[in-house]
Amino acid sequence: MGDAWVLPVLPAAGFVILLLVSPWLPRKGDWLAIGLMATAFALTIAIGKDMADAIGAGEFTGHARSWEWFVIPGYMDIRIGTYIDQITLVMLFCVTLIALLVMIYSTGYMHGDRRYGWFFGIVSLFVASMLALVVADNLLLLYASWEIVGLCSMLLIGYYNDKPSAAEAAKKAFITTRIGDVGLLIGIIILFTQAHTFNIHELLEMAEGGHIDTAWLTAAAICIFAGACGKSAQFPLHVWLPDAMEGPTPVSALIHAATMVVAGVYLVARMLPLFEAVDRMPELIAGIGLITTVLSALMGLAQRDIKRVVAYSTLNSLGLMMVALGAGAVGAAMLYLFAHAFFKALLFLSCGSVIHATEQQEVDKLGGLWGKLPITAPVFAIGALAMAGLVPLSGFWAKDEILVGLRHSHLSTFILITTLVTLPITALYMARVVLLTFFGEPKDKHVFEHAHESAPNMTMPLVLLAVLATVSGFVVFEGVGKALGFHSGWLGFVYNLAEGPEEFSVDWGMSILSVVLVAVGLGGGLAIWGGDAKLSKRAAAFSPFTYRLLLNRFYIDEAYQLGINYVVLAAGQVVAWFDRAVVNDSGVNGTGEATSFLGWLGKYTQTGKMPNYALAIVVGVVVIAIVAFGYRG
Amino acid sequence: MEVVAQGVPLENFLVLSAALFSIGVYGVLARRNAILILMSVELMLNAVSINMVAFAVYTAPSLFVGIIFAVFVITIAAAEVGLALGIVLRVFRNRGTAMVDEIDSLKW
Repeated sequence: MGDAWVLPVLPAAGFVILLLVSPWLPRKGDWLAIGLMATAFALTIAIGKDMADAIGAGEFTGHARSWEWFVIPGYMDIRIGTYIDQITLVMLFCVTLIALLVMIYSTGYMHGDRRYGWFFGIVSLFVASMLALVVADNLLLLYASWEIVGLCSMLLIGYYNDKPSAAEAAKKAFITTRIGDVGLLIGIIILFTQAHTFNIHELLEMAEGGHIDTAWLTAAAICIFAGACGKSAQFPLHVWLPDAMEGPTPVSALIHAATMVVAGVYLVARMLPLFEAVDRMPELIAGIGLITTVLSALMGLAQRDIKRVVAYSTLNSLGLMMVALGAGAVGAAMLYLFAHAFFKALLFLSCGSVIHATEQQEVDKLGGLWGKLPITAPVFAIGALAMAGLVPLSGFWAKDEILVGLRHSHLSTFILITTLVTLPITALYMARVVLLTFFGEPKDKHVFEHAHESAPNMTMPLVLLAVLATVSGFVVFEGVGKALGFHSGWLGFVYNLAEGPEEFSVDWGMSILSVVLVAVGLGGGLAIWGGDAKLSKRAAAFSPFTYRLLLNRFYIDEAYQLGINYVVLAAGQVVAWFDRAVVNDSGVNGTGEATSFLGWLGKYTQTGKMPNYALAIVVGVVVIAIVAFGYRG
Repeated sequence: MEVVAQGVPLENFLVLSAALFSIGVYGVLARRNAILILMSVELMLNAVSINMVAFAVYTAPSLFVGIIFAVFVITIAAAEVGLALGIVLRVFRNRGTAMVDEIDSLKW
């Protein structure tokens, strides 16, 4: 585990090499990126085995290793290093595995593209920074990696740089997450001024022990949570994620489903003891998560672009993870993160397969593709059902654990009930997208005729992910955990440090309730959108206002644009005026002109007449004499 | 050397020197003719010499410091006047005038 620092270095080396020489490498060097990624994954497995042994051997609270970084004797001693614990391992596993599968998939999806080599380079950089973020033991390194992750996200969203909409989406993503990032930076600085350390472990100990002033701690907690909201697209900073679908589908799968957007969840999970030390902070976290979940579930019902629907389902899932963390159920949240990485990546990659096959993304042009895409269609359905939470797929176990965690937490039951209500809604829109894409009458004959299944380098990752999406939930069972080499099931491995490891037991009431709700949702979806979808048209006609509200995402984006136009740009005008009139005209030009003017005045002393100069000399001598002798006297 | 005149205080000589110096300064500033300016400069130099010699005689007669200073001043004055008159002659041949306020081509 002490060699975990190698993990970010491998893909970073890939990035540097690819960006420099990829045009001259065979196949533009994609094998290099994939090879390094596979090595990183193997190293992650090794670390996992190491950790399992360490836990089995006795007390394991995380492995830390650090080096000197900024040292000013007597004032500051900041170290840089890695901190590996169970949460880290989950993230490492998800990041490396999904990145590997996405890279393999991209060899098919991005084949022949003009910027093929650059793509693999930036994806490598992204993975490097994501890994650095996850193993970082201090907030400064975490923040630096956080920013690089955001940069790569922006670069990859704007990958199709000939499309203005892609550039706009990249800008929107970067600026929205930037707002959160400013909060994160302020929070880190507040903590540093109070605790004089960036080290996460030390900060958590100080927060728990009450050594940090409550007011500052609250401010810092809110600021850091704002950073997590930005990156993990929580309300109100969720607006960038649907637009981020402008990027290529593998990018969406890797960054906006499985890894980057869960960076915020990881941050909250990592800093959870600090958040729990602040009064009512868990309620805030759960509340924001809840709003995000509900809003996105509703918005997903009306979207016409299949990638957008999956994007909203990602928002749904992220909100759910935040709710779980607010409830203190770290094991449940990380289990959901784990399962979600698989089924969400699966959904996105199979979306990509559909897009690759049909060149279309809108459900208005799709339909009836079940027979035409014999691999893509079933795995998409598996992903959708896992997302909806159908037993025994992975999504079910994860959601169930979250519900159990909510039930046992001190949060109000309102949150639990609202979460339960979102279950059928999620099932509903997932059923909708599956039915509209793969069943019913094909809406565009031309598209239907040309649809063809994708190549093996694209379908293989899909199948693997489908298998994982199906079985990954079973890790909750003690037996499965032990069979994999760990000493217990999931909940004994990843848990809230304040509460300790848990034994897995089935909460029959909650499980049966969730199964029923999901079945209701799926059944309702079948009824509304199955067959010839008559009911859906009636529903849309029933309340055009509601339909438009949902389709336009509650007009939140428009509201933000208004705010930008009338507030931000207006303020920009004021600042621009100040810069032009005061700084430039008065300050820069002004001092120059004043000096010239003084010079112009001064030239008249050069009369050329000797008597004038002689007088000046005499006057000067007299003045100096008065000053000298007067001063001394 | 002993005191030159009985009962004549040092201040008298200093005042004399200052007065001559002031007259010389006035002459340098107010005269238009270059030769007259040079004459005033000579007057200033002589005033300074009187000052130096007075101090020497009244305060440290055995050291002869002031008197040696005065000898130097006379020598240098002579050399400098020779040079200055040469310049004035040159300027007069060039410009046709010896009036210093008419020689102002180095103006703005």
